[in-house]
Amino acid sequence: MSASGMLYGGDEIGALVFDPGHHSLRVGYAQEDTPKAEIPAIVGIAPNDTPKIEPETKEGNTITQSPWKYYIDTTYLHTPRPNMELHSYMKDGMIENWDFFEKVVDYSYEKIIQSASEYHPVLFSESPWNQRQKREKLTELMFEKYKVPAFYLVKNAALAAFANGRSTALVIDSGATHTTAVPVLDGYVISNAVVKSPLGGDYLILRSREMLEGLGIDLTPTALVSSKEILRDKEKPKYTKKNLSFLPTNSWMVYMVKKTVQDFQQSVLQVSESPYDERLAASVPTVNYEFPTGYHQDFGYERFKLAEGLFDHAMLGAGYIAATSAGMCDVDVRPALYSSVVLTGGNSLVQGFSERLGKDLSSRTPGSMRLKMIAANGTVERRFGAWVGGSILASIGTFQQMWISMQEYQESGKAQIDRKCP
Amino acid sequence: MADVRDIMELDQPVTPELTRESIIGSDKLKKRTFSTTKTQRRPEGMHREVFALLYSDTKDAPPLFPSDTRMRRPRKWEWMPFTNPARTDSAVFYHWRRPSDGPKEYPFAKFNKKIDIPTYTDAIYQQHLQTEGWTKEETDHLMDLARRFDLRFIIMADKYDTEKYNKRSIEDLKERYYKVSGILAKSSGERKVYHYDADHERRRKEQLKRLYDRTPEQIEEEQFLINELKKIEARKKERERKTQDLQKLISQADSQADHLRKADKKIPKKKLANPTRPSRVDTSHILQAVETAGIKFPDYKNSGVSLRSQRMKLPANVGQKKSKGIEQLLQEMEMELNPIPTEEVCQHFNELRSDMVLHMELKAALTSCEFELQSLRHQYEALSPGKTLTIPPQLLSSTTENDGMKLSGNPEIIDVVGSPGTPSGAGT
Repeated sequence: MSASGMLYGGDEIGALVFDPGHHSLRVGYAQEDTPKAEIPAIVGIAPNDTPKIEPETKEGNTITQSPWKYYIDTTYLHTPRPNMELHSYMKDGMIENWDFFEKVVDYSYEKIIQSASEYHPVLFSESPWNQRQKREKLTELMFEKYKVPAFYLVKNAALAAFANGRSTALVIDSGATHTTAVPVLDGYVISNAVVKSPLGGDYLILRSREMLEGLGIDLTPTALVSSKEILRDKEKPKYTKKNLSFLPTNSWMVYMVKKTVQDFQQSVLQVSESPYDERLAASVPTVNYEFPTGYHQDFGYERFKLAEGLFDHAMLGAGYIAATSAGMCDVDVRPALYSSVVLTGGNSLVQGFSERLGKDLSSRTPGSMRLKMIAANGTVERRFGAWVGGSILASIGTFQQMWISMQEYQESGKAQIDRKCP
Repeated sequence: MADVRDIMELDQPVTPELTRESIIGSDKLKKRTFSTTKTQRRPEGMHREVFALLYSDTKDAPPLFPSDTRMRRPRKWEWMPFTNPARTDSAVFYHWRRPSDGPKEYPFAKFNKKIDIPTYTDAIYQQHLQTEGWTKEETDHLMDLARRFDLRFIIMADKYDTEKYNKRSIEDLKERYYKVSGILAKSSGERKVYHYDADHERRRKEQLKRLYDRTPEQIEEEQFLINELKKIEARKKERERKTQDLQKLISQADSQADHLRKADKKIPKKKLANPTRPSRVDTSHILQAVETAGIKFPDYKNSGVSLRSQRMKLPANVGQKKSKGIEQLLQEMEMELNPIPTEEVCQHFNELRSDMVLHMELKAALTSCEFELQSLRHQYEALSPGKTLTIPPQLLSSTTENDGMKLSGNPEIIDVVGSPGTPSGAGT
């Protein structure tokens, strides 16, 4: 702190920010501008074939060696391993498999933070529809297992609004599995007006994959390609596969193909500015894309046709859910919401997403309203919107009174989370 | 420096003089020692600015001065525990702080502002706050939400426990809250009590909702209607402008008539040599002017409020002469110049003044007619000497003398307005 102790209103207390999502878990220190790590929300699990006998035994207990080995983070996951099955611990925007989740949090403390958990207050983000029981469970986990000195839970939409400098906003969060429209008023989420659509990045990947498989394109992931040759356009791929002594598991293959298609989706797809028109799309320059096998071809109208899926649905299109969400709020706050529509989430980085959303939304906005879209330009700011917001919030001086401290937890238990963190 | 030296044509000596200072080297002089390689001279014709670009400025020592900032030892920062008085527990957090700042209260604690939410006891509730449709538990819940969300009613309605209680609208919550706090404030003797008009709010929101929910077609239609309205207003304005123009024209005609009357006085004298064409047309002009005479008080059709006395104001087209005349007449009649403008007085006063003006006009017309008559008589007598034209007495005004007009003439009454043809008929 400066001499006055109040410079910029910040006061950093060494807090950590966790932002769990379907695609990844973002972990880092508050007051930093990017998370320290982005860990895929996928845990690899394989039978522990080589049991090592630990020489020491803990607290007199005979430790039975865990029969499972866990693989966490990109480098471990992307390597083919015999019998390694991949599992996601998230479901419907909430933490589902607590065992796997714990493993990832363990990993975060051990490899990313590299500091003991009891020294750092922890701020977690959650989806706006998180269930009470899950919130309590997370509180319990953090206090009981990790012995954090303080804990707090904030809705990720509110954090994304903070990251964009707003406390009142209509947050359009387009992530891996969902696109949501969440009205935030003075930092509180209006939970009855949250609108959710299952059209997100995964949906685009699925559609892209269907299309690519329909074209007969080999989607063998990079991890299985040992060498390839330079080819002419649309020539049949000539590559040699890695010589594996085992067959990769199905779940691993699915995951890796998904990653391959994801790269395709991120580099090729584009949302057209107005509703999809075959002739118009055909006139736009094509984009060449090379697959891991070395096969490459130009993609023209497909780019727009695939991305159109996010918007053309009558009930689930991004523009529609935004307008619906605002329409469910009190009339008095609608102008404030429309005048700061915050766009966040990795899937919003699909080319042309914000322009199209702006257009769709303005056609549904009452004429007298001022519509303003706020979309961070940087990739990091957009993908980690909620984390950045958490980083800001946890390092603000006036926030330090909000934490649920260990003492409070011991006195009142986990049930207070609902009161303390609305 | 180099430029300045150049301008001053102060070439440094090629070899600096060997002085004691240059060898021992005081601080000051060291800076001014130049390397002796000033071989490059500006070529003839090259601009100084251009040469300056080539010129390597190594001759000037870099402006290095010993700074007087000494390497002070930085103040220490320490990872120190602190307690936050804004917290209800005494949780200890750590942050970086200068130990030299000394222990003081957490600076952000003072931002912890709480809204004062009124409280009540069971007894007070039983006595004052009971109302239909609200149980004490639900009221408690409402007050609790108000405290937790600092009266953000929209959030309160959102977080309302709909499992235990019925869903209530924001207006319901506000109504109940303000009623409760009003009653409590009154019972504690406070004067200022806020009243919340829930019905009005509901209606306002309903209206606002309808406004926002208009379909594009409805908006278009409204825009169309607004445009139509604008057109109508424009037309109305145009019409008003035209009537004003007309009034201007009329007043112009008035003054023209005046002018003509003046002309009448001159023309006959000038045209004495050619008297066969008497100014017959002129008289009809005069008569026309007379017919339209009187004061046209404009109708007050404008929307909005106006003073009635405004109606008694003389219109701008009434000349100073006329208004003076009116004033004079009013004074003669011993009437007030500005009577109290009741409805009736207004009307009669305006009529009276209009009549006065008419009266003056008529008088003027009469005199000019008589004058013409006399001049015609003179013409006649001049053209046929020996003969005298006897003007029938009914054509001569009898009132002129009484009125004290300059033109003393024959005392007969003529009805100018009633029979316009008469004087001209007499003329020919």
